[in-house]
Amino acid sequence: MNIVGIAACTAGIAHTYIAREKLVTAAQKAGHSIHIETQGTIGVQDEIPQKLIDQADVAVIAADVKVSGKDRFNHIRIIEIPTEVVIKSPNKFIKKVEELMQKGANA
Amino acid sequence: MVEQTSGKLFTNLKQHALTAISYLIPVVVSGGFLLAIGSLFGGVTIENIQDPFGFFDTMYTMGGLILGMLPVVIATGIAFSIADKPGIAPGFLVGLVAINMNSGFIGGFVGGYIAGYIAKFLKDKMKVPQWAEGLKPMLLIPFAASLAVGIIMYYVLGTPISILTDALNNYLLGLDTSQKLLFGLIIGILSSVDYGGPINKVVFAFLLSLQSEGINEPMAVLMLASMVTPFGMTMAYFMQKIFGKNIYVRMEVESLKTAFPMGVCMITEGCYPIIFNDLWRCILSTGIGGAIGGAMSMYLGAASPVPHGGLFAMVTMTNPLAWLASLLVGSLATAIVLYVLKKPVALDDIKELTEEDEREIDFEELKIT
Repeated sequence: MNIVGIAACTAGIAHTYIAREKLVTAAQKAGHSIHIETQGTIGVQDEIPQKLIDQADVAVIAADVKVSGKDRFNHIRIIEIPTEVVIKSPNKFIKKVEELMQKGANA
Repeated sequence: MVEQTSGKLFTNLKQHALTAISYLIPVVVSGGFLLAIGSLFGGVTIENIQDPFGFFDTMYTMGGLILGMLPVVIATGIAFSIADKPGIAPGFLVGLVAINMNSGFIGGFVGGYIAGYIAKFLKDKMKVPQWAEGLKPMLLIPFAASLAVGIIMYYVLGTPISILTDALNNYLLGLDTSQKLLFGLIIGILSSVDYGGPINKVVFAFLLSLQSEGINEPMAVLMLASMVTPFGMTMAYFMQKIFGKNIYVRMEVESLKTAFPMGVCMITEGCYPIIFNDLWRCILSTGIGGAIGGAMSMYLGAASPVPHGGLFAMVTMTNPLAWLASLLVGSLATAIVLYVLKKPVALDDIKELTEEDEREIDFEELKIT
């Protein structure tokens, strides 16, 4: 799967980046390609290239706050989740995403 | 859209508050530092710009101006989070109304939600003829939403909120010694058991509202309680050196090297690798440390006019040494409890979380569109 997404937390200095790292590690371990953009208090970093957005199968938004640029993902399924959950259970979360995409494909 | 359950509604409300707080933090921190450093060097408010003024007077005045605007920042942030751009005008207005009515931070907080939802409602439901489409975001929504929320504040909600704010402040200012200890203890526990998570942030929002009324002692408690975790865990590391019972594996010792400096800046998250390896023992020990440190800091009357910054915020504090002492005592308590509770391990034991250790995720927690 090609995953793109955004991570953002309240203070925007720690959870944001931990969530990104956990997601990237878990997704790569499961054999997916992933690009996560961070929207910390410093602003947008690692912005997702348009090419990846076009190719993506699913968008993952791990955020406790409002994120900007959600409309970039209008063509694909968007899954939103608090940062806390992906930090605690990144691998299980990726599993859930896989399940959901399976279901979506069959439906 | 699927029908929203009450749980989802709460999540949304919380997200709007957190978004506003994320905008608020840099504003409060910069304003607090300006005010505190200005006041440290004898700055006073510039009342009349024609009179001569000094450098530190400008700092003090700038800080005061910003901190006086907090109801506006929180109201605009919440309304923007709910309704996007159309929320900004009514949010800004309702914040100013809250200041005008002395209903303070709570007024801005409540008003921000009302402003945001009115603007969102208009945005979604208002039907106008084609020729007026351009007027809708420019004039109709901001004007109607501002007017509506302003009237609600002036005639309905503003006065009760002002009375409530006053009552709360008077109550907190009049706490006797045992009540202070208890209050510090509770704030200390709540701020230290979920490591910067949702409980901590809810407490943070409440304490910000107190801070905007000039009650700064509780925020000092929260800051200390957030720092007890990295400080206590580091102290526990030195205990293992002294007493010979090994409680950390190599990976955990490594993470302490970054966790401690982060802790100095009041960021707890560096301790995550240690916390998640042994969640309940960590929560218990940091909770106890936060409780003891918090009670002590309240009792000694340490107060912080800025809500973030860790040790660097000490320059701005009242009774900074009392605060530091409370932090160290609380951290020591955390260290002792953690050291006693944790099972001995060998330094090279591999302890990594596997997928089986992770918490189950419910589909309910995901929002899918």
